[in-house]
Amino acid sequence: MVDSAYAESQLPLDTALPNGVASLDSIVRTEEMLQRPSRPPEPEKENSALAALVIALADSPGTILQTLADKVLEVLRADSAGLSLLTKDGERFYWAAVAGAWQPHLGGGTPRNFGPCGDVLDRNAAMLFTHWELRYPYLGAALPLAEEGLLVPFFVNGKSVGTIWAIAHSAERKFDTEDLRVLQSMGRFASAAYQTVESIEDLKLEVAAREKAEASLRDLAGSLEEQVHIRTEELRFSEDRWKRIFENSAVGIAAVDLKGRFVMANSAYQRMVGFTEDELREKTYLDVVAPDFQPLNIALMTELLDGRREQFNIEKQYRRKDGRLIWVRNNVSLLPGADGSLRNIMSIVEDISERKAAEESLQHTQARLSHAAEVATAAELSASIAHELNQPLSGIITNANTCLRMLDAEPPNVQGALETARRTIRDGNRASEVIRRLRALFSKSTLATENVDLNEATREVIALSSTRLKKDQVVLRVELAKGLPQVTGNRVQLQQVILNLLQNASDAMSAVGDRPRQLVVRTERDEDDGVRLSVQDAGVGFDPAASTKLFDPFYTTKNGGIGVGLSVSRSIIEGHRGRLWAAPNDGPGATFSFYVPGRSNEMPSDLSPAARTFAQDSTARNS
Amino acid sequence: MLGHSLISVVDDDVSVRESLPDLLRELGYAAVAFSSAEEFLASDSIGQTECLLLDIAMPGISGPELHSELTLQGRNIAVIYITGGEDPTTRAHMLKRGAVECLRKPFSDEALLEALNIAFQGNRTIN
Repeated sequence: MVDSAYAESQLPLDTALPNGVASLDSIVRTEEMLQRPSRPPEPEKENSALAALVIALADSPGTILQTLADKVLEVLRADSAGLSLLTKDGERFYWAAVAGAWQPHLGGGTPRNFGPCGDVLDRNAAMLFTHWELRYPYLGAALPLAEEGLLVPFFVNGKSVGTIWAIAHSAERKFDTEDLRVLQSMGRFASAAYQTVESIEDLKLEVAAREKAEASLRDLAGSLEEQVHIRTEELRFSEDRWKRIFENSAVGIAAVDLKGRFVMANSAYQRMVGFTEDELREKTYLDVVAPDFQPLNIALMTELLDGRREQFNIEKQYRRKDGRLIWVRNNVSLLPGADGSLRNIMSIVEDISERKAAEESLQHTQARLSHAAEVATAAELSASIAHELNQPLSGIITNANTCLRMLDAEPPNVQGALETARRTIRDGNRASEVIRRLRALFSKSTLATENVDLNEATREVIALSSTRLKKDQVVLRVELAKGLPQVTGNRVQLQQVILNLLQNASDAMSAVGDRPRQLVVRTERDEDDGVRLSVQDAGVGFDPAASTKLFDPFYTTKNGGIGVGLSVSRSIIEGHRGRLWAAPNDGPGATFSFYVPGRSNEMPSDLSPAARTFAQDSTARNS
Repeated sequence: MLGHSLISVVDDDVSVRESLPDLLRELGYAAVAFSSAEEFLASDSIGQTECLLLDIAMPGISGPELHSELTLQGRNIAVIYITGGEDPTTRAHMLKRGAVECLRKPFSDEALLEALNIAFQGNRTIN
């Protein structure tokens, strides 16, 4: 076993390992990838790609592998992508299709027993490599070098026949579990595509044989070419081949005619809905759609048939034969027939019940977290309120004491006593001002949406946090834009977000000792009459790689922080149809900003699920 | 005012700065107020001050930081902290750092007197 540190330092092989090659473990990063924060799924992009591939498979199967490589490149935003197929003798992999930077290497390949593809087949699992040329020097000639290469095996009838892969040539692009999931899904498609290509090869052989056999008749027939063409066309659109595509797909595929009646459905689809293909032929697509989703489905289908859209994606529930509801993701598109006029409607369906269950449980957890955050915020607030009130109270009591002593003196100091009494009144007014601010913060219905002046809301939060900010030695600069448009929303929720951002910014600077702990709160007008608020700190900043993770519940860079603040904040802002994001500063620290659209863009009467659970939670607490 | 010990009040809160010096004068001391540690450090009073009534949380230099600075300068000034915070551990912490007392706002004149008596080691009669 070679010390993996050699490979990690990426020293040239000849100096680091004069007598050997880097170990396999030293170039594999699969475990690390599983730990990386994963990018959000892009179901629409993925579905469109899948739909395009199924159509390509029907229209031009000869180039399907290249189309597949192109789509992998596109959907994964990879620098290179391709397919490796095991040769019939099992000795080598050859690169049957390549897209992106490695396109010139089309037709190249690797030995079965000494290369990344072979490793993937040996382990029978997806693998992520880095700088494989450290172990396989011949790959050093394949330029540009691969910073990372993600490989997924694909199978036909349980036998692995090749890999599908994506490469990043720069260190900027890091593959994650979402990339893995997408590549695996395309790997399943590759299996279907591969068999089709094999059948096309068979077809070519058949045509060649016919050509040979009928060569002597060429003159007599006169139009052999046309006949071959007709025969090819017949085969091309044969039910057989469609069946093959249908049956080999892991996703459900069904075709309905223009009246919505099922024409065919593959076995994956039949398993999902619980009906056999024969039973389905008696039904229309609406018969398997749960009643709640029928109106939307009908509307989208009408637009499709009217030519107002070419395809649509929908997440909906199916009602199975046994009455059980399942969640599916559905891509529906028009399928041109062989003659270009007859059209079917193709539906690609993926069972997402598991994902939905996970989402629901996450939503439930978030609702509980938001409650916990509110409680924490309330505790924080009450400490802050106590401090704010103690200052004027202190003045009142001291003044009253002084007043008594002045009146008690011999002779009484009436002038002085009058002055202290006036000061007592002033302090009393200061105390009531603190109370007024609190009432402004809490007396409003926590559920109501109203017109909110974000500047005023911000000033109130700042007034209530000033003690804490002062304690944290924060130098606060406030830049509120004049003439800011009002936004429609829940004032208290927005103020909780601002409070969270201020506290996070202050916490991020707690370890800063070599520069001012400057915090800038800024409001400005943004697009569509919306408003943007940013909180800029000079703190420790964050790792750009973790920027999507910042908003996860429990993610925290603080010791002892609970980290629910940002996740809840994002739910609130998204409930206002806005965005919350973070960006590193040019200098030290980070800036957290949110954008909320203006009044002209009315709030939907139906708040987002996250905002709704948040609102329900508030009601429960207040009742 | 000659012969009256000088007490400096350092607090960023205006209510305290307005009220406390008058009470201290009623108690027989000379008193001046400053809104920040920086202001106090730059003043002439620093040399005459025998006792400091010092807020803990202030923008810029905090109370404890001022205390450390004075110790570094070799000044022997008794420090009584006055705080608006609620943290029950603060007092013990401040006493350990060499404070005479730590009063939680709002405080009574008796509590203040008691602390001042300790600060001046009881060798001064009040009233």
